[in-house]
Amino acid sequence: MTESHSQIDLTVSDVTVAYSNGHVALHDASFSLKPGTICALVGINGSGKSTLFKAIMGFVRPVRGSVRIAGQPVKTAHKKNWVAYVPQSEDVDWSFPVSVWDVVLMGRYGYMNFLRMPSAHDKQRATESLERVKMSEFKDRQIGELSGGQKKRVFLARALAQEGRIILLDEPFTGVDVKTEGTIIELLRELRDDGHIILVSTHNLGTVPEFCDQVVIINQTVLAWGATETTFTEENLSLAFGGALRHLRLDHTDVPGSNRNEILVLTDDEGALVVRPNGSKQAPVGKSSEKL
Amino acid sequence: MDYLLTPFHYDYMVKAILVSGLIGGVCACLSCFVTLKGWSLMGDALSHAIVPGVSIAYLVGLPFALGAFVSGIVAAVCMGFIKSRTRIREDAVIGIVFTTFFAAGVLMISVFPSNINLKSIVFGNILGIADADIVQMVVISTVTLLVVCLKWKDLLLHSFDPNQARAIGLNVGVLQVTLLTLLAATSVAALQAVGACLVVAMLVTPGATAYLLTDRFSKMMFIATGMGVGTSVVGAYASYFLNGSTGGCIVVLQTSIFLLTLLLAPRHGLIASRLAARASVARFRQRAASRHPAIPEAVRS
Repeated sequence: MTESHSQIDLTVSDVTVAYSNGHVALHDASFSLKPGTICALVGINGSGKSTLFKAIMGFVRPVRGSVRIAGQPVKTAHKKNWVAYVPQSEDVDWSFPVSVWDVVLMGRYGYMNFLRMPSAHDKQRATESLERVKMSEFKDRQIGELSGGQKKRVFLARALAQEGRIILLDEPFTGVDVKTEGTIIELLRELRDDGHIILVSTHNLGTVPEFCDQVVIINQTVLAWGATETTFTEENLSLAFGGALRHLRLDHTDVPGSNRNEILVLTDDEGALVVRPNGSKQAPVGKSSEKL
Repeated sequence: MDYLLTPFHYDYMVKAILVSGLIGGVCACLSCFVTLKGWSLMGDALSHAIVPGVSIAYLVGLPFALGAFVSGIVAAVCMGFIKSRTRIREDAVIGIVFTTFFAAGVLMISVFPSNINLKSIVFGNILGIADADIVQMVVISTVTLLVVCLKWKDLLLHSFDPNQARAIGLNVGVLQVTLLTLLAATSVAALQAVGACLVVAMLVTPGATAYLLTDRFSKMMFIATGMGVGTSVVGAYASYFLNGSTGGCIVVLQTSIFLLTLLLAPRHGLIASRLAARASVARFRQRAASRHPAIPEAVRS
């Protein structure tokens, strides 16, 4: 137990992944994350985001390079329940006959005995996790009967119950209302302060500067990684997205020749990133209503 | 009264009823995983693919369960191989592989006449079951039930979210193979009771029925298993009076229960969903009416 609360770092070095059909989804990807970070994984569809996730989860074996968690191979890390995963909503069968409580308890399976009988401690952890995401009252609901945001929170609770030190979230803000987005971000910040590593794959560029302190920008390889202030720049994003990003420069100035009031809007069809001329970034006020 | 008890005066009927009940229960237990994993076609494929194994086993004098089992596994491996190496979709792969195996089996039985009867493999012959075969079935059933009872939570997680299963260090490959193996073994056991053609009904219908009745997996298992045992026992019993095929009786009974459930299930049945939809439309209208009292009735409806 002491081990699961120690500080754990993540190192991805020169990872190259090729699928059996010969497609190289990722080559020479390298970055590393220290404990206590929220890192955004940004890139277009097909840029290798999910492949990178799979490599960290150990679902695909890199043909070259390695993923190390606290210096250990991923397999060892999984046995220790270090890596928790919050799936994309589309990947879950919501009509499956399981309740919220069942799902959260699944996060504890790794700690349970051969028969997966929950101990009092397991139940307590699950209860606490549900409380933390404010879903206790929905404990006995079948998972399909929840709203988009509630569904996300259940799986987040499962990751909490698992006490993973590295939490991977796949598109956590898709189909989630602004209020829930706020709750999730708040929770992720708390987890960061506890020393977790949180890796979020997202299309929602606007929220990235708001809560991520690190960014990894990928397109078949890691194009740039580092602190959000220095890495999450217009140049790097243009590099990653090319023409795939909506790019609008709005200017309502009365002073011709001055870019004082010019704002740049970058959007990947979800939350937009708004850049002021002085380089400061703002999260959008709303979500889908802001789609441009 | 005496008339109703006549089946129990015959040893072969008592055996048939007990064995059917056992196999029905085991199949139903697995049917929960089959329906939730979307493996119905796979079950159908496996139950047909074991036929060549049965005929080879008889020809060379091995226990038929062994032959059947090996050929079921070979078929599953073939399907996995073709699916992963070609662009052909899964349903087409399953269609090709299982018909090929089935055809090979039928051909072998007809070309090399032995003491097995094609009809009894395709349609089952529980009334003429040999004691040695009963022992095989009991062993298969016991092992399957034991594995499911001990590991149902792992199998459930594997069906629901294989990624999570892997993330917490479960061996997903082993779970997948375990489930396939249980499925193949159970198909072998059920072959004698209802025949290759109807095994899939026993492996799907109880699970599908229970799925309409509950939102909890553990309840689903109980309902399905209960239904499997009940319909098999009653079906085998009724087949005496109807003088008809045992497999046919069991499956027709299961299907009737499924149809009734489909219609009457409290939440997921056809009638219940229709009523629920109507109720929510009524609620919507009521709310609209209270918000815009000025809108005339004609416009609102």
